[in-house]
Amino acid sequence: MNIQDNYLKNKKNIFFSENKDIQSHREKLINIFENDRFDKKNNESLKNINLKNFIDFKYKYLIPEETSVINNNQENSYTIVSVNGQCSSFKDDKIEITKILDEDYNDFSKNDTIKNNDHFVNLNSLFLNSGFKIVIKKNNDIKIKISNIITDDDLTIFQKNNYICEEGSSLNLIEEYENKNNSTSNILNVIKLEKNSQLNHFLIQDNSPSHNLIITTHSSCKKDSTYAQKVYNFSEGYVRNFHYSELIETNSEADLQGIFFLKDNNTSNNKTFVKHLAEDCKSNQVYKGILNDRSKATYFSNTHVDQVAQKTEGYQLSKGILLSDNASYFSKPELKIYADDVKCSHGSTIGPIDENAIFYLRSRGMSKIAATKILISSFINEELSSIDNEQMSEIIQKKLVRYLSKVK
Amino acid sequence: MNSETLNTLDTYSKNKYKYGFVTEIDTEKPKKGLNEDTIKFISLKKNEPKWMLDWRLKAYSKWKKMKEPKWANLSFPEIDYQDIYYYSAPKGFEKKPKDLSEVDPKLIETYNKLGIPLEEQKVLAGVAVDVVFDSVSVATTYKGELEKLGIIFCSIGEAIQKHPDLIKKYLGSVIPPGDHSFSALNSAVFTDGSFVYIPEGVKCPMELSTYFRINAENTGQFERTLIIADKGSYVSYLEGCTAPKRDDNQLHAANVELIALEDAEIKYSTVQNWYPGDEDGKGGIYNFVTKRGLCAGKNSKISWTQVETGSAITWKYPSCILKGDNSIGEFYSVAITNNFQQADTGTKMTHIGKNTKSKIISKGISLGKSQNTYRGEVSFLRKADKARNYTQCDSLLVGNQCGAHTVPYIDSKNNTAVIEHEASTSKINEDQLYYCRQRGLSHEEAVSLIVNGFCKQVLQELPMEFAVEAQKLVSISLEGSVG
Repeated sequence: MNIQDNYLKNKKNIFFSENKDIQSHREKLINIFENDRFDKKNNESLKNINLKNFIDFKYKYLIPEETSVINNNQENSYTIVSVNGQCSSFKDDKIEITKILDEDYNDFSKNDTIKNNDHFVNLNSLFLNSGFKIVIKKNNDIKIKISNIITDDDLTIFQKNNYICEEGSSLNLIEEYENKNNSTSNILNVIKLEKNSQLNHFLIQDNSPSHNLIITTHSSCKKDSTYAQKVYNFSEGYVRNFHYSELIETNSEADLQGIFFLKDNNTSNNKTFVKHLAEDCKSNQVYKGILNDRSKATYFSNTHVDQVAQKTEGYQLSKGILLSDNASYFSKPELKIYADDVKCSHGSTIGPIDENAIFYLRSRGMSKIAATKILISSFINEELSSIDNEQMSEIIQKKLVRYLSKVK
Repeated sequence: MNSETLNTLDTYSKNKYKYGFVTEIDTEKPKKGLNEDTIKFISLKKNEPKWMLDWRLKAYSKWKKMKEPKWANLSFPEIDYQDIYYYSAPKGFEKKPKDLSEVDPKLIETYNKLGIPLEEQKVLAGVAVDVVFDSVSVATTYKGELEKLGIIFCSIGEAIQKHPDLIKKYLGSVIPPGDHSFSALNSAVFTDGSFVYIPEGVKCPMELSTYFRINAENTGQFERTLIIADKGSYVSYLEGCTAPKRDDNQLHAANVELIALEDAEIKYSTVQNWYPGDEDGKGGIYNFVTKRGLCAGKNSKISWTQVETGSAITWKYPSCILKGDNSIGEFYSVAITNNFQQADTGTKMTHIGKNTKSKIISKGISLGKSQNTYRGEVSFLRKADKARNYTQCDSLLVGNQCGAHTVPYIDSKNNTAVIEHEASTSKINEDQLYYCRQRGLSHEEAVSLIVNGFCKQVLQELPMEFAVEAQKLVSISLEGSVG
């Protein structure tokens, strides 16, 4: 079934299909799909993807019966369970959680940083069927943990979440994706950071082979705000991590980091994109990957510095370790610079584990496997040791141990 | 930014093209436009055998079905292929002059203006020069000495006549005519260029050099160069370009193929200074060049060095296919863009054989309102065990209206291969500038010194004969500050 028919058939289950503005926007999107036809050759972001799963899919969505729970167990800490991408409304003097509204959709659809070349975001906009909006009120320091649960097999979740951090607020957000069923999630997070606010965003991904996860973040930072993101991808299923960040006012910062562990036939596509649109901003993009068996990964990083964005500092780093003959890694660290007073750099390496280091460890009596494992752990140690949340650190250590146990 | 810097930038941007003059020589041209008749005309004029004409026509039929590659970060008006002359030879040059005294004195004068007096070069530098004026080889020197060693150094047209076996075997073997639209175009209408064959075990005693010069207005130059280094041989080849000032855009789509067999080494150096257009971005050469080298045999080596200062548009990716085990590919590049110039240049290293090594050093300098892009692809195929790559690409921005971009593609399919890539972008360091000024250098001298230092890693790779010219070109590009 083509995308248009699929949309028309399921229109009544899709958000905002009565709104005329949105409808006309969606018609444009359908046109884009018709004209472009997911041209793999000219759109490298589609590299290594089994497109059939995503274009020719069977739409199915169930509204969750049980409303999701929000616990306020400690004073500034909240636990949210999002079921099939939805979560019940909640309000106190620190945060407010609501469903997403028409205006949130329109607000984002006008932004053209990603539009036109990111088909998965367009698919999300077209089939939108769930999502919520969280507002952190002024000058609050909040911790939120979100568990994403999908109830049935064959569900296709198209979810859009809006986060707004008001002036002076600080949010520590941990998102967990641990799904065991055969379903597909396409999630778009739109994050707005007001003046002097801060968001530490952790994404822990650990899905079973049958679950596909497509996650896209779009953050925009105003004056003196900081967005820091860390992605830990242990999934055995397909994961697509595309994260865009716009630094729209001075002295803002974006830090996009990720590590991924791949094995078997798994594929992972990653992209980070930072757009510097104001002076004195900083950005950092670091991705590390370990690839075993026949796994494949791509990583695109991009720093775009606008003409007005003087005194920019933008750094990129990409490192990959190939553990097997059949693994492959593609990286494209891109710099686009239109201002002269900048410090920008990128580094990229791909290779096996250092043989000299293995020799050193083996000469001290370690087996080859033990040496390999130690070196893998040390490769990502920097990322792991920077986690200041003890509970989370433990969770990630456990997952790492599980991955290492399969390394031979 | 202080006023002095602004002044310096101003002088940069007003810097005029030094070599803008036109030699008035009658030229004989076919009609404008590209069709089978044009190709037949070219083939007839060059007195080519039938198989060559068929080869051209086949490439032409491929070209008709192709579109220009669009992925480069360039913007330019669409090229009207029917508004270009595809053949232009000075009248009376169908028969080649036997020595320099037979050459039109005006031509000789042109080269004198460029600072490469043929006579002098012949005697002093010991460089054999195969001069290309528009499309026909004019004079070839030192041929005798090369012939003694069995080295073939002639125009490609001559090689088609005299060495059809080598041409049939190797022409189009590295860059297939159907590779992309510019290679197909070149294959269909190429007029002249050089052919070099170094026999087994011979080390070419001198640097071979060709001077290309576009002269007639609206004449695209379609050079075809083919260099074959047989087992255990060595050759260093120099290519340099300067072009007179013109207002209409001129298309230049050359193809250069290098083949290095077992234990052979080819060093290919280019200094490119085509007319870049005036301060408003009007005119200038469109330079769409395909250069590719094949390390076919074991332990072979191909090294590209380029200094790119001219052309309104530069689209150029000298590449290496590292097929033989232990083969080595190198790429050293300096690209300077000023005014409205656009450069999208880089390399492609394809590692196929075991223990293959490649090294990429690229330096980009953007001034004025120019855009300078490095685009490079390094790929390790499945069987490229223990292959190694090191890439470094640095960009320097002078002024706040230009752009510097870096777009590397890195693809590894082998788990014993190691790839390292690093890049940085910055402006001229204020501390370094201050240091130089403090020691009595003027602002311009200081900028020149720093830029020269920035490029040194690449310039030192050039052969002696060329290094002087390259430094001159770098200076001219920065003129006003360097002097």
